[in-house]
Amino acid sequence: MNFIFRRKRIAGVLVVVPENERSFSEDMKNFNFPEARSLKLKEVMGFDKRRVVKPGVCVSDLAVFGLEHLMGEGLLKRDEIDALLLVTQTPDHLMPATSSLIQGRLGLKQDILCLDINQACAGFVIGLMQAFMLLEQESVNKVVLINADVLSRKTSPKDRNIYPLIGDAASIVVVERDPEDSVIHASLKMDGSRAGALIIPAGGLRLPSSPETAHLEEVGDNNLRAKDHVFMDGSAIFNFVQTEVPPLIENLLARAGVASEAVDYFLCHQPNRFMLEKLADKMKVPYARMPNNVVEHFGNNGSVTIPTVMAYNLRERLLREQLQVCLAAYGGGLAWSAMLLKLGKLAFNTIIEYK
Amino acid sequence: MNYMDKTEFNQRLAAILDVEEVKPDNVLKDFDSWDSLAILSVLAMADAQYGVSIKAEEIRSVVTAEDLVRLVEAKRK
Amino acid sequence: MKCIFKNKRISSIIVVAPSQEYRFDDEYAFYKMTEAQAKRFKKMMSLDRHRIAPPEVCASDLALFGLQQLLDDGVLKKEEINALLFVSQTPDYVIPPTSNVIHGKLGLGHDVICMDINQGCAGFLAGLMQAFLLLGMEAVSKVVLLTADTGSKQMDRGNRVSYPLNGDAAAATIIERCSEEKTIHMDIKNDGSRYKAIIVPGGAYRMPSSPETLKLQEMEEGVVRSLEHVHMDGAAVFNFTMDDIPPQIEDVMAFSGDTRESIQHFFLHQPNPFIVTQMAQKMKIPQAKVPNNVVSLYGNCSSTTVPMNIALNCSEPLLAGTRHVCLSGFGVGLTWISAVMDLGPLTVCKIVDYKPN
Repeated sequence: MNFIFRRKRIAGVLVVVPENERSFSEDMKNFNFPEARSLKLKEVMGFDKRRVVKPGVCVSDLAVFGLEHLMGEGLLKRDEIDALLLVTQTPDHLMPATSSLIQGRLGLKQDILCLDINQACAGFVIGLMQAFMLLEQESVNKVVLINADVLSRKTSPKDRNIYPLIGDAASIVVVERDPEDSVIHASLKMDGSRAGALIIPAGGLRLPSSPETAHLEEVGDNNLRAKDHVFMDGSAIFNFVQTEVPPLIENLLARAGVASEAVDYFLCHQPNRFMLEKLADKMKVPYARMPNNVVEHFGNNGSVTIPTVMAYNLRERLLREQLQVCLAAYGGGLAWSAMLLKLGKLAFNTIIEYK
Repeated sequence: MNYMDKTEFNQRLAAILDVEEVKPDNVLKDFDSWDSLAILSVLAMADAQYGVSIKAEEIRSVVTAEDLVRLVEAKRK
Repeated sequence: MKCIFKNKRISSIIVVAPSQEYRFDDEYAFYKMTEAQAKRFKKMMSLDRHRIAPPEVCASDLALFGLQQLLDDGVLKKEEINALLFVSQTPDYVIPPTSNVIHGKLGLGHDVICMDINQGCAGFLAGLMQAFLLLGMEAVSKVVLLTADTGSKQMDRGNRVSYPLNGDAAAATIIERCSEEKTIHMDIKNDGSRYKAIIVPGGAYRMPSSPETLKLQEMEEGVVRSLEHVHMDGAAVFNFTMDDIPPQIEDVMAFSGDTRESIQHFFLHQPNPFIVTQMAQKMKIPQAKVPNNVVSLYGNCSSTTVPMNIALNCSEPLLAGTRHVCLSGFGVGLTWISAVMDLGPLTVCKIVDYKPN
């Protein structure tokens, strides 16, 4: 499905990462694999360090921390926020919505839309689309889009397919109208028949949590996992990304009448370095224009990887200049999306640590 | 502010509690029917008959019937 | 947040209730009520019967059944569905979204937006807002809004303040573009500082599931709950309904240039009949314009209460013509959303029983 948005822009990007860092070498000790094999995985995938929350830290904590920082720095005024969007799959409670909790904790005005959006790694582009749609309403001038997850808390230390990759983080992006006559092209596709590729089997109403669902089970391939843990079918997702994402981006660029060479950067969701290199190869894009180093420093922090790329790899450039970027976000759902837009100059573009 | 007829208030309260009469020094918790339903009825009565909004925390701190009357009176000012 | 939408309309509503109906008179022994207490409760809350889904039936099953009926009856074609919204607080899973699961079960194409919305009693209105927003995009012509909850699974059978009032149900509503201007005025408000008024404390990330959170405790007499059940502060909710909703309804009527007289029906969410009566009185709206029978017949169905209210009380007139209505949903969050719009003529406006093959 294709979309066009006019006269909308991203004003600033803030990423909040937990201070707490884990290394692959530490994580490796829990796996049922010989060390040599694990080290090989580390090298190929680009695993090294990742940031994870301490026990008990929730998405609203990271979000409130980030918003208080922006307000403290005078980069955002409390009463300016007309809509608060929170893209998360790891909410504080099943009810109420976590965006309401954040609104309450910060004492934001009552005349506001609070919306939780349940999306995985496609969530940054989907969140932006939601913000752009809301800005069509006259009464909406500023939307705060928060992407945040604490998924590490639901990974099994004995599941090598997922444990060493997941990072926790939150991003806060301010979205507003653009006085320039800008055009943003976007595409979004979904396939629920493959929804089982990223799933936590227990914890919803289909299979409520119980002592049994907390029990670690042998799941074959030498890994151990409980039904309360998140399961990710890595190879299914890899195949899906290789098959679906290049044509999606190609069609998007064709519709926009923009050549691949004219795109300054492809800012893609970062599952791991291996997958991104393969994607870049397939799309014939040099690695320099498709940054792929988020996982080795922060872990795969879900829908926050794209803002992390912006703030980590393009910090100075996006503060000083305007770049033409193509975002690509894909993952659980399954969902895959792309967006072509001009980005910068940003009022803020930084990473801070949550203590 | 309109004069508040305490006798009338206590009669309404007695009706909510399903008893013959309520005296000012009666402890509300001692009534069998002082439950969440009764609380809702009191909140509704305060709003509809006396034009005041009693908050959940306020009603929880009330002990006797007299406390309740005073609370409503104070809010009417 | 005020919104205006034009050239959009609701075209069909189908409500699905579990076929299992339970009468208050048969159930009150579970609540450890004396006959006198039960009689008083029944009278004050106008209780009669409610629908409860069997253990193996999830909210999405009810919703999918309704949507399938619309497809089977030729009211809707699969290819026409551009967006699938699932509003619930009792989803199948936390990951992935249930709308994606339904998308997979129906075998829909890839050019469909699936979205789960975490809202309770304001959920039908929140879903309408989302549908209207999406219909502003050229690529979106038809949206299916599913509201669904099995609240019974988030409470204990022995909880006398919650269980008798709860109803499980779902609705599938089709919303689409239309050539007539059909302006919709909507106001949205939130107050998360009162989040404790309606909450499920445990089971997610603030308080993960554990043997502790699953333990049943008697909070007060006749109110048995675990930390993974819904905790509701009845008095705080009452304050909310009396203090916050009437001004919003006044406000949205002023926004749309309407009065109590120009609006033909007020389809409000129904926490219980007692509250709705009080609200109507406070707003000086004749009770005849404020239908108040959903809880007595089906129970409080969370976000499905508003479409249930419409289908239960106004289906004939809405199948035949147009009515000018005010819709209002309010609850957990705290969130409150009210709208004034034209409703009808509808292609479908009915309630069916869930009868899987």
